[in-house]
Amino acid sequence: MKSAPPPPPKIAAWLLKLAVRGEDGFAVLGDFDEEYAELRAARGGLRARLWYWRHGLRSVPRLVCDYVYWRVIMFKNYLKIALRNIRKQKGYAFINIAGWAVGMTVCTLIMLWVQNELSYDRFHQNADRIYRLTLEAHIGAPQSAPVAPTPAGPAMARVYPEILKAARMERPRRSLIVFGDKEFYEEGIGTVENSFFEIFSFPLLAGDPKTALTRPYTAVIAETTAKKIFGTESPLGKFLKLGDGKDYAVTGVFKDVPGNSHINFNLLRSFETLVAENRAATENWFSISTYTYLLLDEKADPRALEAKFPHFVDKNMGPTLKAIGGTMTLRLQPLTRIHLYSDFALDIAPQGDIASVLLFSGIALLVLLVASINFINLSTARSATRAKEVGLRKTLGAVRGRLVGQFLGESLIYSLLAMILAFLLHFPGLRLFGRVIGRTMDKNVFQVPWMAPALLGLALFVGLAAGGYPAFILSSFHPVRVLKGQLRAGGGVWFRRILVVAQFTVSVLLIVSTLIISRQITYVKNKNLGFDKAHVLVVPRISAALRRSYASVRSELKSIPGVQEVGASSMVPGRGISRSIFFPEGFSEEQPQTMDVLSIEPGFLPALGIQIAAGRNFSETMESDRTQSIIINETAARLFGWSDPIGKRFVIRPDPEESGQTTYFTVIGMIRDYHTISLHQKIEPQLIQYDPDSVSAISIKLAPNSLPRVLDLLKQAWKKLEPLGSLDYVFLDEVFDRQYRADERMKAITLHFGVLAVLIGCLGLFGMSSFTVERRTKEIGIRKVLGSSVAGIVRLLSKETVLLIAVSNAVAWPAAYFLMNIWLRQFAYRTTITFWVFAAAALLSGLTGFLTVSYQSIRAALGKPADALRYE
Amino acid sequence: MKELTRIEEILLVTIWRLKEHAYGVKIRQHVSRVLGKEFSYGNLYSALHQLAAKKYVLKTLGESAPSRRGRRRIYYTVAPAGLEALEDSRELNDKLWMGIPRLAFDFDRDKSS
Repeated sequence: MKSAPPPPPKIAAWLLKLAVRGEDGFAVLGDFDEEYAELRAARGGLRARLWYWRHGLRSVPRLVCDYVYWRVIMFKNYLKIALRNIRKQKGYAFINIAGWAVGMTVCTLIMLWVQNELSYDRFHQNADRIYRLTLEAHIGAPQSAPVAPTPAGPAMARVYPEILKAARMERPRRSLIVFGDKEFYEEGIGTVENSFFEIFSFPLLAGDPKTALTRPYTAVIAETTAKKIFGTESPLGKFLKLGDGKDYAVTGVFKDVPGNSHINFNLLRSFETLVAENRAATENWFSISTYTYLLLDEKADPRALEAKFPHFVDKNMGPTLKAIGGTMTLRLQPLTRIHLYSDFALDIAPQGDIASVLLFSGIALLVLLVASINFINLSTARSATRAKEVGLRKTLGAVRGRLVGQFLGESLIYSLLAMILAFLLHFPGLRLFGRVIGRTMDKNVFQVPWMAPALLGLALFVGLAAGGYPAFILSSFHPVRVLKGQLRAGGGVWFRRILVVAQFTVSVLLIVSTLIISRQITYVKNKNLGFDKAHVLVVPRISAALRRSYASVRSELKSIPGVQEVGASSMVPGRGISRSIFFPEGFSEEQPQTMDVLSIEPGFLPALGIQIAAGRNFSETMESDRTQSIIINETAARLFGWSDPIGKRFVIRPDPEESGQTTYFTVIGMIRDYHTISLHQKIEPQLIQYDPDSVSAISIKLAPNSLPRVLDLLKQAWKKLEPLGSLDYVFLDEVFDRQYRADERMKAITLHFGVLAVLIGCLGLFGMSSFTVERRTKEIGIRKVLGSSVAGIVRLLSKETVLLIAVSNAVAWPAAYFLMNIWLRQFAYRTTITFWVFAAAALLSGLTGFLTVSYQSIRAALGKPADALRYE
Repeated sequence: MKELTRIEEILLVTIWRLKEHAYGVKIRQHVSRVLGKEFSYGNLYSALHQLAAKKYVLKTLGESAPSRRGRRRIYYTVAPAGLEALEDSRELNDKLWMGIPRLAFDFDRDKSS
């Protein structure tokens, strides 16, 4: 034929071309062309074109199916080879997959927690328009608290039109609930105004949200609590008795409060109850313990509103504030910032903070980064040993594309196996993690919609990255040079070193932190507190009736064998304090002194073993002790410059809003300092008065080793004394040590992450050392032939690691010292940072690192030199 | 014993028959003629892939022709394993049909009509 053959129909040819691949594909196209040309010559263009179209269309589906079928077969082949590799190198595969899986698990757990923290209070429909009133005051001493004067909320709503609703809430507490013959203590018994349900989205399942809490002595209860009390019966219209002995009508049932709400409660009684009981108290501007929530208008500007508050405070509280030389500022705190961005000493419930959210997110990212880089590194280091396999395959005619597919497929399978393992580890991990951070997680990875797909994407990405190096670089090597051993994958040694240093720095940092934190916790738990916390049983709240008959209660309890002393007080150490201002002798009206105030009856001091340094304890028989005497602590005496405090006087001025006369108290005794709150706080000056009407907690000192028997007797005695409710008690040492829960949690976190960091660091080291040993096989062989000992070779191979770990320690020590100093600063009383914690961390990191490396190096050193030399 | 599908058997016999001319166009045309209907390239090549995977046929890259616009032919030859399979298949056919005369069918056809 002279000219070029006539072209076949374009579109049909293009379709065909799409459907076929490779050598065979070309043959198919050629066959089509050939037959087309034949037909064209024999029967003309039209017939030929028709034939091409018909056959093309008939063939395409089949060809495509065929292609897909063979791809699947190929994939099964990769899978088989990958699984065979895993079986062949069990140890390596396990380390690689497990390390990556643990990294992913830890990361998802932390992200779940972070996501939960960030979601706090956002489920309310009006979340963006709800604010809480907080105050900053300077009355004697600076104070800030998330509470406002009790009348402030409604007064503001009346004055400022941009405030649509205001709701006041009393802090939820533990209380007794009695219904019929059921009686039990329940946490989270709060008091709110009815508007609470109009501001927040806490849906009522039964009852009318508009009127549920408008009358005194009404209450709404949580679904779960309702089931606990009433079973399947409808709670509406039933009456409950609460800890105050009053009956409350149930007017509604609300859905259980979600875990990510900053307030938690199980029963709410109406604020009207408080108004009905003591209207004056709810209208007193200086009763400051009410949490006030405001719903603002959509167009309202909270800053502008806040700017009007000074005038508001001045108008309502100005004269009194001026009289005592105090100032007060009210502020608006956005609802969505309460959980993470506020750090009031006493909030409505313990809140989180943004610093730990950031810290944890950082840790999650770091863990993920390190784990993924380790995975990539280990895969790459392993693949270097396969350079020869690649060379051989290429000589035997393997196409580059197929090699790329093989390597990528293998590392993808590893990565996906790791992901599956991560999902399996997730559930036990969730439980462990919950224990470490001290609360249960209410969602798992599959309940956050973006998380599982994100993890899949990550696994795919890292799998591709890990396979990428061998796939594209090894497969491009020239087979002859690879087989001659001229080309070795050697790049990135420095990268690997930096990675190892970074990982061990984090490990050492966490080890040092763990050691210092646990030293401090041991210190605070064993420090002499100035009172004896052991064997003291505390009944935190007693009813008014019991308080009135306290004398007989005390003698009844004291008659029980095993009970050594019984005392009553307004507070017990570790359960909060109350402060007030006083005018001690020698201080003018402009110099008010802030002091902790405690009301007790005389038995309290001996019950807690608090020692009297000078003077005497209160006496039951001296009537004047109740009205005119006080006891102070050593700190107070020191602060006021009294070398002999006995006989000094305090002036108690009447409240300017009420009429009364100035009275005096005389100091009759001084106690040795004792810690009223945790060792985070300094001991403050304290003033103790004898006031049987203000005590609410009973402390019972027991003889050692008598607990179970005495407890039974106490319960029986209590039943007789208090008809309402059984004995509800806690142990003083538990109450006191509970204050260190956050510190214990910190310790658990650093410990667990420390162990994890060491593990992951060892993984990185393992990858690096196997790589080094591999590269120096021949060198080791020659050294052995020339007379090197096994120990000498191990030393040679471990030198680098030990050096890297030394560098890590050098970096981590100052960082740990700095960070731990910051952490320790939150304690007023702290232990010193000793050198041995650093030495211990160095030893631990050095030893684990050395052991990891020696596995590889000893194996290399023990090998026969002939094998090593024949290796290439 | 490996059993061949009908189409595999047809293809193997065709390739064996065509000897050194056994490539796509010729095979397809021959099979179409035998079957009495158009046999598509899709079906042809997917069957050939299977045969190649089972090592019943061997592939050799051949020459091109002007009308193929430079695309080379792939020639197929029956591999030893393929021959074995063919023999087995023939034996099976013989055994299966042994003793059944053509008349039996004629008889049947008469009866039914």
